[in-house]
Amino acid sequence: MTWQAVAHKDFQDAIRSRWLWGLSVLFVGLIGGVPALLYGYYAPEGASASNLFGAAASMPLLGLSLSYSGVLAFVIAFIALVTSHGSIIDERESGTLKLLLSLPHSRLDVVAGKFLGRSAVVALPVLAGFLVAVVALLATSTDVDLSTFLPQVLLTALVAVAFVSLGVGVSASARSNREATVGIFGLYFLLAFLWSLVARGFPALLDAVLRRVPGVDGLANPTVVELRMVVKFLNPLRAYETLVALLYAESTEVGRFLALTTKAGRVEQRTLAQTFCPEGLAQSGGALCANGLSPAYPFYFSEPFVFLVLLAWIAVPAALGYLAFRDVDL
Amino acid sequence: MAAIELDGVTKRFDDVTAVHDLSFRVEEGEVFGFLGPNGAGKSTTINMILDFVRPTAGSVRALGHDAQEASVAVRRGTGVLPEGFDVYDRLTGREHVEFAMRSKEVDADPDAVLARVGIADAADRAAGGYSKGMAQRLALGMALVGEPDLLILDEPSSGLDPAGAKEMREIVRAEADRGATVFFSSHVLGQVEAICDRVGILREGSLVAQDSIRGLREAVGTDSTLRIRVAGDAIPELDAVEALDGVSSATTDGETVVVSCRDDAKTTVITTLEDQGVTVRDFETSEASLEDLFLAYTGDGAGSDAAAGDDVAADATDAPAGEAADDDTAESEVGP
Repeated sequence: MTWQAVAHKDFQDAIRSRWLWGLSVLFVGLIGGVPALLYGYYAPEGASASNLFGAAASMPLLGLSLSYSGVLAFVIAFIALVTSHGSIIDERESGTLKLLLSLPHSRLDVVAGKFLGRSAVVALPVLAGFLVAVVALLATSTDVDLSTFLPQVLLTALVAVAFVSLGVGVSASARSNREATVGIFGLYFLLAFLWSLVARGFPALLDAVLRRVPGVDGLANPTVVELRMVVKFLNPLRAYETLVALLYAESTEVGRFLALTTKAGRVEQRTLAQTFCPEGLAQSGGALCANGLSPAYPFYFSEPFVFLVLLAWIAVPAALGYLAFRDVDL
Repeated sequence: MAAIELDGVTKRFDDVTAVHDLSFRVEEGEVFGFLGPNGAGKSTTINMILDFVRPTAGSVRALGHDAQEASVAVRRGTGVLPEGFDVYDRLTGREHVEFAMRSKEVDADPDAVLARVGIADAADRAAGGYSKGMAQRLALGMALVGEPDLLILDEPSSGLDPAGAKEMREIVRAEADRGATVFFSSHVLGQVEAICDRVGILREGSLVAQDSIRGLREAVGTDSTLRIRVAGDAIPELDAVEALDGVSSATTDGETVVVSCRDDAKTTVITTLEDQGVTVRDFETSEASLEDLFLAYTGDGAGSDAAAGDDVAADATDAPAGEAADDDTAESEVGP
């Protein structure tokens, strides 16, 4: 296995370009600059840093249904895709891949090395941003709650790597740079802007299909709402936002429920509460289950499941890209 | 064990056959020249040995491994100078060689490699600024890393000036002396003649000849040309010369007699002239060039093939298109 050599070369190449440094400036400003501004100028002494990411995790920003972590994920996903979408197809088109594969690398080494090299290119500036954030917070004598801050850093790095995987996967399967570019930005558009339509459309479509089958009823409303949530969780951006919200959630059943349904509307939240506590009285913000029972969540409505979704986005696209790349004539 | 062994290899791209039922062996330690006009299928064959493309049928083995199943093992023992490659623009020459060393998991001095291929002074410059010839030298340097058992050089002289091509030949010779097998392709024939133990001539995806240069020359029977400068006053009897065994033609060009003959007839030609009282001032012989041999093999009956051989600018990847035309012709001949 010589993927280390490929990753090393790829990262070395990135250091030479201005790209890595540009990203570092961007993320230091975006992640490090915001807390520096907030706590350096606006916040009172002794405020807790987790307020920044925590409050913003579920707080609407600029009147949009976007949280700070949501915006961060949008930017990171975009940057990760831009960084990785040409990783393999550009080498194939220019002919450097011939030089690369003249050396004793397997095609798996190439995909794995590219994936790791580009992951480092995106993740290191993100980490640098968080490092600056910590320094800014300490300099303004703000408390840093490491038990939430560090997992947030980890989750942010993971969502970056997930989108690098998507970019490398598409790059490995594409037959031309144009194809990779169109594919990757189509996917970004779908995941970042059109996913609500998918989340609404899929259950509606399923419902319409089922109704056409004689003797089968359509989907019940709670099922439709549940399906919508599951589809939302399948999006790595939503999965990330949900996990961050869970990180800063109050450690009560209500807090956890609100964090899990952070991407749901109010009506949907109520429906879900009723579903999971069948005899209870759902009231978001109040008692979740009036009869005192713990909510009975299905497996797909849990933190581990959402986390697995994020991990799957890291493993699956690059693996599929490898399978395509393995079998292609160069 | 053969260094390279192809058995009944066919490669079709879509509906174009680039290589057709190709079988040959390259023995360990030999320098094998793989000749053919652009588009004959040379690069496709090399790409199959390196597992860049997979054969449609047949088996390819190198260094005792199946080229497809154990491609990494093949390439670990092989230094490759690929065709149509590019260097990493932002990395320096030294970083390229270091990358090759890390990839082959060997520890050596990158500067020594760069010095050997003549670009030591450009070691710290980004390779994006290299000329075609320098990039070619750099890739050769990367190929030489780790003393490979097999060197596969695809059109190694392209982009090199005559001095560079000579250095390339010297390196090939040195590698062969070290014991490495060298397999290289070329459509420039002069260089092949000087260094090859054996050549194979590929035409339209099939091997049309495989022999030593001497063997090929004998097989084709192409004559040498003897040019004799004579003193101005005597007029040689050319009929007597032409009547000699092994002479196919004799003409005069001013004070020069031009005789086309077999190698072993040269002495007789000169003595015959001197017997006539002709003063021979000096003479020179030129052997049949490989170019002539090459044309004899690839050009017979089809003028378009000779033209293709001259078409230096044509990229090897244009191969399928040219062959498609040929295939079509063949089919239309067979069809009715």
